Amino acid sequence: MQSPAAIATGEPVTQEWRHGLIDVRASGGDTFLFHTAARAALHVRHGRLARGEGYSSAPAAARRELARLGAQLVLRARGLYHVHAAGVVAPDGRAWLLAGESGCGKSTIAYALMRAGWRVLGEDGVLLQRAGDTLIAHAWRDTLQVSIELAEYFPELWSHRAKVNWSDPRHRVPIAPSGMQHAPIAALVFLDRARRDSITPVPETVALSRLVRQSSTVLLSDTHAGAHLAALRDLVMKVPRYRLEHSAHQLHHAQETLLEAAR
Amino acid sequence: MRYRVSGDALTATLSDGAVLLNLHSKRYFSLNETGTRVWGLIEQNAELDDIVRTLTAEYDVPESDARSEVMALVSELLAEGLVVGASG
Repeated sequence: MQSPAAIATGEPVTQEWRHGLIDVRASGGDTFLFHTAARAALHVRHGRLARGEGYSSAPAAARRELARLGAQLVLRARGLYHVHAAGVVAPDGRAWLLAGESGCGKSTIAYALMRAGWRVLGEDGVLLQRAGDTLIAHAWRDTLQVSIELAEYFPELWSHRAKVNWSDPRHRVPIAPSGMQHAPIAALVFLDRARRDSITPVPETVALSRLVRQSSTVLLSDTHAGAHLAALRDLVMKVPRYRLEHSAHQLHHAQETLLEAAR
Repeated sequence: MRYRVSGDALTATLSDGAVLLNLHSKRYFSLNETGTRVWGLIEQNAELDDIVRTLTAEYDVPESDARSEVMALVSELLAEGLVVGASG
């Protein structure tokens, strides 16, 4: 018998759930967001955002962080669930979600695919919507940001040198958005950097656990948490799931690797 | 003895197991197929002895083995606040 005691305790995500510096408290339909460094509050009430104490005088970065999380909660109440993944649309019009921890190569692989003719929905997040039997990925407002250090592989990036954000440790440049708004989802790929390339299927429980860890607003205990979890469950059950361990080789071969896996 | 699922727990059942969330502690867990079977029986309000009997029959294992495995899992679920003791 397979041991039922294998309650493989996933890593606690309490820290991630706080969303960095933001504390979140939900009570019924109301949610209170509090930026602990800026001492600024934002409320989500009846599906709308309302400024709280300290919000107007808070630094712009803190207001952006609060508004971003608040928007995720408002959209969740409308059936649009934030997934921490890049979204890229293949030439056949179907979206591939590239998930993984920060620094795993989401933006890099998304840009590599963009150069091969794919279109980008978002570099760090997409909105998941259940539409009958189909799952749709909607664009989220992030601009694709690519490290200028990739110019070694993608020489056209040198022309963006003037736009490099040198205060960003990754020295990234913004890339113009593709204008893509939404697409049905074809597959889910978890990215990990490695010395050798491989692409392998991912079991459903492993995939859902990784999505929960990375898209931790699902753990926010308002009345929409159950629907959020159900949407993530649908995602892992309805589309193929892969783990792509990638080296620099994939910068020029990601498209063929993904399409070959799906064949 | 009977247990029930905590009000803080959310479950997603998959073809190879399940993922459980505790919305209070903000921790999440995965169960393998056998653990998911136990979880399903708890959800159906089954007695602990019935859960052990079911696993003994379905997995063709000695009852003592099934009992120790079920007890170990239930202890973890209790400690994580995913189930609570139920009367009746």
